[in-house]
Amino acid sequence: MNNIYLPKVIKVIAISRESIDTNLIRFKFASATDQKSFKFLPGQFMQVGFAGWGECPISICSTPTRSCEYFELAIRDVGQLTHKLNELEVGDEVLARGPFGNGFDVDNFANKNLLIIGGGCGFVPLRPIIEDFLSGKIISRKLQIFYGCLNEDTLLFKNEYEKWRKHAELGIILDKPTAKWRGEKGMITELIKKGEITPDTVVVMVGPPIMYKFAIKELQKKGIKDANIWLSLERKMNCGLGVCQHCAIGPFYVCKDGPVFTYSQLKGISGAL
Amino acid sequence: MKQNAINKLRQFAAALMEEYFVYAPIMHDEKLTVMEAENCKDIDWSGQITHNPWKEMFTPHTERLFDLENGKVTATKGVQPLVACLGMNILDLKALALYDTVFANDIYYQNRRNHIAIIGFSSDWPNDYKKFKVFSHNFEQDILKHVRFDIFIAKLKSGLLKFYSGSQKGSELLEKYGINKFDHIEFEGAVPEKGADKRMISLTDKVEKSFDHSLWNTLNDICLACGKCTIACPTCFCFNFVDRVDPENSRRDRVQGNCFYNDFSKVAGGHKELDTVKKKIYFWYVHKFVRIPKEYKLPGCVSCGRCVKVCPVGIDIFKNIAKLEKIKFDVKK
Repeated sequence: MNNIYLPKVIKVIAISRESIDTNLIRFKFASATDQKSFKFLPGQFMQVGFAGWGECPISICSTPTRSCEYFELAIRDVGQLTHKLNELEVGDEVLARGPFGNGFDVDNFANKNLLIIGGGCGFVPLRPIIEDFLSGKIISRKLQIFYGCLNEDTLLFKNEYEKWRKHAELGIILDKPTAKWRGEKGMITELIKKGEITPDTVVVMVGPPIMYKFAIKELQKKGIKDANIWLSLERKMNCGLGVCQHCAIGPFYVCKDGPVFTYSQLKGISGAL
Repeated sequence: MKQNAINKLRQFAAALMEEYFVYAPIMHDEKLTVMEAENCKDIDWSGQITHNPWKEMFTPHTERLFDLENGKVTATKGVQPLVACLGMNILDLKALALYDTVFANDIYYQNRRNHIAIIGFSSDWPNDYKKFKVFSHNFEQDILKHVRFDIFIAKLKSGLLKFYSGSQKGSELLEKYGINKFDHIEFEGAVPEKGADKRMISLTDKVEKSFDHSLWNTLNDICLACGKCTIACPTCFCFNFVDRVDPENSRRDRVQGNCFYNDFSKVAGGHKELDTVKKKIYFWYVHKFVRIPKEYKLPGCVSCGRCVKVCPVGIDIFKNIAKLEKIKFDVKK
């Protein structure tokens, strides 16, 4: 019987500073066999940590097409463990289990207009979808990317925007930018209001619950069906297997049945959003 | 109970104690308590529900999962003693059937479970099952086919004892102890062939849609969120991972959790999903009556009533469920 609670050792192979509080870390499994057999879907997450420090769920933000070589995590410094993870250096080892969760149903995006909406550090799990669209692995008709952040310092993946703009429509809006900012200012809902969004668009959205509340209203005004609004939830997680109960919402476990749900799955559940 | 039946049970317990650490219901501080039996005469044969559940035997409060030494992860492989759980009543066997299902792929649980002999007991079979006021599902005539045990001892109305074996191990033990007259009951799965219980399914629907019912506001005002109900509950199995730091050797433990405690849903940054008593107690009921039935097709409450007995403010699950059962999907009352 496989030991579902036993983590594997992963090694830091590259680090880049993505924003004021977030490092993008590239990991490789210490065991070549583990790396070769590693597979994941966009939207899935890893439980990462150190023995003695616990573990926390972090969404994978690299493309699945490179999964047998490496995987990347963008880790925001928000608590004790993520602070320690942000202090990692190349060559350091940490423990990881996963991947967990259902991930995005990318087959469902085929031949449809795809709109990606990211709020703050919620943008992290959306990057693999963009990369797979650019590489032709996800064949959607059109890709629109709306990204809302607090300010310039908190924007992630800045070096990739130029590449994204070649094949997708990218809208960035900042809530409290500096005086130098020449782009859009306000909340993400402004981009939705102004955007040319067709009613048959499939929307993939990750961000804080407050963003979901207002963004969903605007999307509904554009005629988008609840079943075409996909969102990813964040909860406290321990086991990652739907047993320990920490991440439960109504009848679902975010770690196992999610973290990706359609709005139609969640809308009747108290406390889900 | 007739003295010869008592003597026979004591002889059986004494034989069992020769090779197993026997845990059984024993009167301790005026409470019927599951604890290690040192003398077979201490064991209570009333068939009543014990104050504490049996779950500590299967999922101990703290369990070491692995050690990390010099960058190497080593799974804990504890040597499991041979344990016999003697005198589990039918409701506790029902809870065990759920545990066996939930932890079917859990190597730590299975390693321990494989070393535990289950000996069920009824003091008035099958009438005592009927007397337990099972409310979370319908009465099951053939329940012994759907719970896991090695041996089941039924004291009949006549005072005579009837023995059943539920496994190869059970048959061997009975024969070894000179009990050659017994029936074998083949386990047919925790979920009956005809499917999930209809009363349970109906209740699942009602509890799931009941968050706006006034019951939860009432409970919000009286429940202390002390979590005693979850400790007493034989089907509560939530847990936390707790890491221990040592300069040379760190390790991870699994520790029994409690959804009423404040840090249960707390994430980095301090946000808590379960930030009111109403949300906590509703979450607990949803686990019992929605998530468990939907996922495992088994009741998440076995009607043992332990939570009622330990609740310091008298919250009564039997009455609460009776209220929710009356819901006709117009929940704004």
